[in-house]
Amino acid sequence: MLSSDEIIRTIEMLKNENLDVRTVTLGISLRDCASASAQDLCARIRRKIQKQAQDLVRTCERISKKYGIPIVNKRLAVTPIAAVAESLERDDYLEVAQTLDQAAADVGVNFLGGYSALVHKGFTKGDRHLIETIPEVLSSTERVCASVNAASTRAGINMDAIWLMGQAIKETSLRTSGRDGFGCAKLVVFANMPEDNPFMAGAYLGYGEPESVINVGVSGPGVVKKELERAIQSGKKLTLGDLSEIIKKTSFRVTRVGELIAREVAESLKVSFGIVDLSLAPTPTVGDSVGEILQCLGLDSIGVPGSTAALALLNDAVKKGGAFASSSVGGLSGAFIPVSEDLNLSAAVHRGYLSLEKLEAMTSVCSVGLDMVAIPGKVDAATIAALLADEMAIGVVNHKTTGVRLIPVPGKDVGEKAIFGGLFGEAYIIEVRNINRSSAFVGFGGKIPAPITSLNN
Amino acid sequence: MKDWIFVSVIGRDRPGIVASVSRVLYQNRCNIEDLSQTAIRGQFAMILIASTLKEHVFDALKEDFRELAKELDLDIHLKRIRPEEMAPYDPGEAEPFVLTVRGQDRPGLVYGIAEILAERGINITNLGARAAFVGGKQEYLQLFEVDIPKALDLDLLHEKLRQRGQEMEVAVDLQHLEIFRAINQI
Repeated sequence: MLSSDEIIRTIEMLKNENLDVRTVTLGISLRDCASASAQDLCARIRRKIQKQAQDLVRTCERISKKYGIPIVNKRLAVTPIAAVAESLERDDYLEVAQTLDQAAADVGVNFLGGYSALVHKGFTKGDRHLIETIPEVLSSTERVCASVNAASTRAGINMDAIWLMGQAIKETSLRTSGRDGFGCAKLVVFANMPEDNPFMAGAYLGYGEPESVINVGVSGPGVVKKELERAIQSGKKLTLGDLSEIIKKTSFRVTRVGELIAREVAESLKVSFGIVDLSLAPTPTVGDSVGEILQCLGLDSIGVPGSTAALALLNDAVKKGGAFASSSVGGLSGAFIPVSEDLNLSAAVHRGYLSLEKLEAMTSVCSVGLDMVAIPGKVDAATIAALLADEMAIGVVNHKTTGVRLIPVPGKDVGEKAIFGGLFGEAYIIEVRNINRSSAFVGFGGKIPAPITSLNN
Repeated sequence: MKDWIFVSVIGRDRPGIVASVSRVLYQNRCNIEDLSQTAIRGQFAMILIASTLKEHVFDALKEDFRELAKELDLDIHLKRIRPEEMAPYDPGEAEPFVLTVRGQDRPGLVYGIAEILAERGINITNLGARAAFVGGKQEYLQLFEVDIPKALDLDLLHEKLRQRGQEMEVAVDLQHLEIFRAINQI
């Protein structure tokens, strides 16, 4: 029996606090599409995506309407293309990417993740082709997202891959200079990349995943913020422990909604249900911001001293609430701090509260990494690679995922604004101090060995 | 064969009504199979279904309840019912929803919504209305639990309810029951 208070509270969550399902991502294995002929492989990919995903959007819309919960994005994640297209030559990869782009458009999804390679221990021929073609692919397709796993706690950091990715980011930015380097918003470099992440641009279908699977990403910074505000305004004496408890309970509720929707979508499509990724993923909307949550926790702005501790509290409470709500929590699950996608973060950069160094510190306790950070176009590839290496080290040593989406904005510098549009938002360009001072380090190449804590068998 | 008896009891709420009614049933060898009781603003109401294997119990029970009603100043009604009358209403292929109406109290609020539901063959399975504090101010709140036939166009229903809400200056929301369960129940 539901109480009227529970009913009112639930209606408020749904109506006024931006509770939605951020993404339903259908994972599709393309392993059976592999072929030595590009033409054959592309035809197989087209057929398979059409067959598996043709009902995805319609089904999501039907279930969204039934429950009155918006499903904001419908997306696809596929087997890493470096593996599927291993037998092909470099230029064939462009044709494969075009095929993926068109197949995604044909089934009505806005993004497809999986133009990916896992190179934390080294490269195959296919991995090299894939990484080399990333700038061309991201500048000539709309929907294809690329990701590269360059490090893991078990393997250490592949610094040769890091250098290649530093160059790929730089080149992708230049190739999409008319859109403020937007191509880089579709490219993530990872350490400990999760196989079941439903969020773009880092989604792909891992080798351990089933033939097809529904993974769902649930968000809700707005809901968490409102709950905190309500508690604080009640006038009760609250400690940070109490606030953590409120976040935990709210995460529980949000996760339950995600699981309900995901299971029904999976059942309707007759595919496996994978995981719910409970991530506080902000949008460029006032009231839907991780930065605003930190302000509720008593900080003038995200970026001031105390921000790392507050974010650690938030991330932990979100995970605990999610883990209690569902036995299928996966992906990244935690709090995201994507600068351009969170109005509050972007404003904190502009006002000088949030620096790149503080962002980096915060990534050691949040669920992702340096995400959607617009940097000056003049930053060189070696400096970008060194920033990647720093972030990879945080992930590798702390046994966590870190991902990097840096966007060098051609022709723009600190204080200017990059505009990406839609959910990607806009961001003031952040200062990168000490550029052109890391090339010798990056130039050594080779591997940074795995930490001693990786030897835990 | 079992006899089934439906009993309704209405009166001023006070201690002892349930004890008195159930004593009469027990003394007449009746078993209470199903019961629902509530009280609003000092008024008590109870409905129940009792069964008995004893023959000719209905007349004796009626007499005992007539005396009890007089003694306690209650309205008590008895009715024999057939087993087939006890089957709940079958809405066919339907989904459970919760409809909430919130705003300033005024005459015709329940009718305004119930009319729309009735016209579309939507059965109300539970209904409550009360004043509640929402965000520091008092609001009149109605909660309908309803079964909506799957064949019904949900968009049209939403639109109709939204329009009616505007006419009556209240907020009307319709949400699937499972969402409330998922969010609020472990």
